[in-house]
Amino acid sequence: MGEVILTMNDIDKSFPGVHALDHVHFDVKRGEVHALMGENGAGKSTLMKVLTGIYTKDSGTIEFEGKEVEFHNAREAQDAGVVIVHQELNMVGHLTVAQNIFIGREFKKGLKIDDKKMNEEARKLFQRLNIDIDPTDTMSDLTVGKQQMCEIAKAISHEAKVIVFDEPSAALTESEIAELFKIIRDLKEQQLGIVYISHRMDEIKVITDRVTVMRDGGYVGTLITKDCTKDDIINMMVGRVIYEEPKTKSLVPEDAPVVLKVEHLNAGKMVQDVSFELRKGEILGFSGLMGAGRTETARAIFGADPKESGDIYINGKKVEINSPEDAVKNGIGYLSEDRKRFGIVVQKTIAENSTLATLEKYMKGIFINKKKENEVTKKYVDSLATKTPSIDQLVVNLSGGNQQKVVIAKWLVRDSEILIFDEPTRGIDVGAKNEIYKLMNRLAAEGKSIIMISSEMTEILRMSDRIIVMCEGKVTGELGIEEVSQEKIMNMATREIS
Amino acid sequence: MDKIKQNPIVKKLGFNRIVLVFVILLMYTLFCVATGGNFAGLPRILSALNYAYFLGFLSLGVTFVIATGGIDFSIGPVMFCAALISGYSLTSLGVPMGLALLISVFVGFCFGLFNGYLVAYWSVPPFIVSMASMNIAKGVASVFTKTQSVSWPQLAAGGWFRQLVKIGNFPVGLVIFILVAVVCALLLNKTKPGRYILCLGSNREAVRLSGVNTKKWEMLAYVICGVLVGIAAIFFVGAYTTVQPGYGDQYNNEAIAGCVMGGTSMAGGLASISGTVIGVFIIALLQEGILALGFTKDYQLIITGIIVIVAVYADVVARRRKN
Repeated sequence: MGEVILTMNDIDKSFPGVHALDHVHFDVKRGEVHALMGENGAGKSTLMKVLTGIYTKDSGTIEFEGKEVEFHNAREAQDAGVVIVHQELNMVGHLTVAQNIFIGREFKKGLKIDDKKMNEEARKLFQRLNIDIDPTDTMSDLTVGKQQMCEIAKAISHEAKVIVFDEPSAALTESEIAELFKIIRDLKEQQLGIVYISHRMDEIKVITDRVTVMRDGGYVGTLITKDCTKDDIINMMVGRVIYEEPKTKSLVPEDAPVVLKVEHLNAGKMVQDVSFELRKGEILGFSGLMGAGRTETARAIFGADPKESGDIYINGKKVEINSPEDAVKNGIGYLSEDRKRFGIVVQKTIAENSTLATLEKYMKGIFINKKKENEVTKKYVDSLATKTPSIDQLVVNLSGGNQQKVVIAKWLVRDSEILIFDEPTRGIDVGAKNEIYKLMNRLAAEGKSIIMISSEMTEILRMSDRIIVMCEGKVTGELGIEEVSQEKIMNMATREIS
Repeated sequence: MDKIKQNPIVKKLGFNRIVLVFVILLMYTLFCVATGGNFAGLPRILSALNYAYFLGFLSLGVTFVIATGGIDFSIGPVMFCAALISGYSLTSLGVPMGLALLISVFVGFCFGLFNGYLVAYWSVPPFIVSMASMNIAKGVASVFTKTQSVSWPQLAAGGWFRQLVKIGNFPVGLVIFILVAVVCALLLNKTKPGRYILCLGSNREAVRLSGVNTKKWEMLAYVICGVLVGIAAIFFVGAYTTVQPGYGDQYNNEAIAGCVMGGTSMAGGLASISGTVIGVFIIALLQEGILALGFTKDYQLIITGIIVIVAVYADVVARRRKN
């Protein structure tokens, strides 16, 4: 390990309603892999966005190679040698692999783009990294894992000095992860500084040299990986929060009726012949890698995307669901993984969002019954403990956790019997996360049935009564909470690919 | 500035609208001074009001469309098309006056339905749809009237519809315009269609995934716009008597300027009917003032063009600051 190449000192950043980073310290040395850990909403991604200038910091300093720097956008950071490999892929689907890697800095021959040279350079790059991808392939034809590899290759091609990997393994199979680790070790040898963000404790132990833990936007501490145990890290991550006790057995009564039955559902290549049952009062976990088709399945059931074939039964009766309108009428509520795009109307008030799915019940003649609307909104603001100065607050001013509660309130106002929670705790802070867990358990106890899609293994293990694992659009396994283990899920989640 | 904005009276009325009212008063004073007092007095005001009526209905209509995040560049030509078809029916086909007025509204309705259906159900971009229907409206009007201009009858010759605009010197049109604006405000802010239109303008997918039939409500915004454009046609001929095929484009810009100046966001989701009303009065006053100062109509085109850009830019800046 060499000298420190990058230091972030006393970084502070606030958003409306959230203190996202509270005087955080972080540094990386040359030739080291430094893990950045914390639960969803701890502030890891925000810190990295401050680093690369996507967010401007409120205070604090960033030193890179001994000089104080301030990047104003990702491009500036890239040019200086600080590169992020994002969790979400930023690729242009219809371009070739090589075109994607050199996007924005294409080789030119006169005015013409020199595709031949780009393919050659890309090939050399892949050789160096030992990746087996043809640079002339169209990006959208590759698997998610391969696309991720391209993203990494692209980052490396920028002559990076510091590379940030933001949950690189979320979409990768075991063998791809092994490949990734080989690449990371190579980079380490070349004296690059690596930041590695991941939720998977096992990976942290294998690949990293130091671990920095964040919680609630604050800096908790930095440990030498080989001197600490998993439990040390977990304790630092969880801190004061006392989570709901993990389930050891299903809380669903033996004789609970099946409320939702899905048979042979097909919708594109992401949903192939999916069948399952959901019972009353059950929390059914959907696990799998990123891109396994869980969200697509949920959207097809909800009528948000067209389905090709398959039957849906609710309380034993076959129903036709061709639009979200049909789904809502049949008592299904869908909490999207992307709250800002699909969940809330940010520029509207809490009240307007709460009754969005139920407006016809809050009418007086042709006019909206504002009084009744306010009453029901108030009721759910209180019962979900949504933190807001008033119900006329625009949702944009709420923190992520409270926004999530507004979306949940929308479906509770509707009295939906079946709730699909797609990544319910993504992007919300740790305290709010546990409140959401409590709420889900309470809803299940009250007889609501919940499908919970989650990429966080701990969440799946903590909340589910039963777990369905998907891989490449197919259901590859089903486990009761009594028999489940992380290894069993991972096996099923990568079964088809390798 | 922030302190003023937090004052409860200001908050209720809206800072933006109070400023705009002052702009009207200031403009009026300026025009009066610049013309040596010629601008003061009833005739100029009545003339400005004549302009405000038809423009006002156009602007109210397009407010609904812009609230959905869409745009309609066909309103001016559709207004002319409605006036031409109904006027030709009245003068050359012998249709009774009452029916002719209904035909005008119906023509507006049909174009609204056409635009709305294509935008909502076929997902054709509103910009393209309205550009195309602008030409369709001009073409249909020309074909129907055999490329002749149409003059609506004077009051003495049975043109009782003129009493919708004014009786003697009493501005009936103003009363009707304000009434329609109040109905529009209630519709937009207090009813289900209005709520859905505003919400879908802000985040269409989130509204759709709440089980709302967004296509239906989006189309409705265009239909409301169409009907109001049909009404605008009646007030246009009520004030200016003659319509010629092939025109009407300039009013698109003016109507959109009035709407955006009043605080309706081009991005959708935010709309203010009272703002639109005030915005329309500013445009109408400006038009009258420019003529009174001895400039030609061309200057008015330039100025409204600039107003649209400034108003939209102000909206963009305001939104960027909010984010």
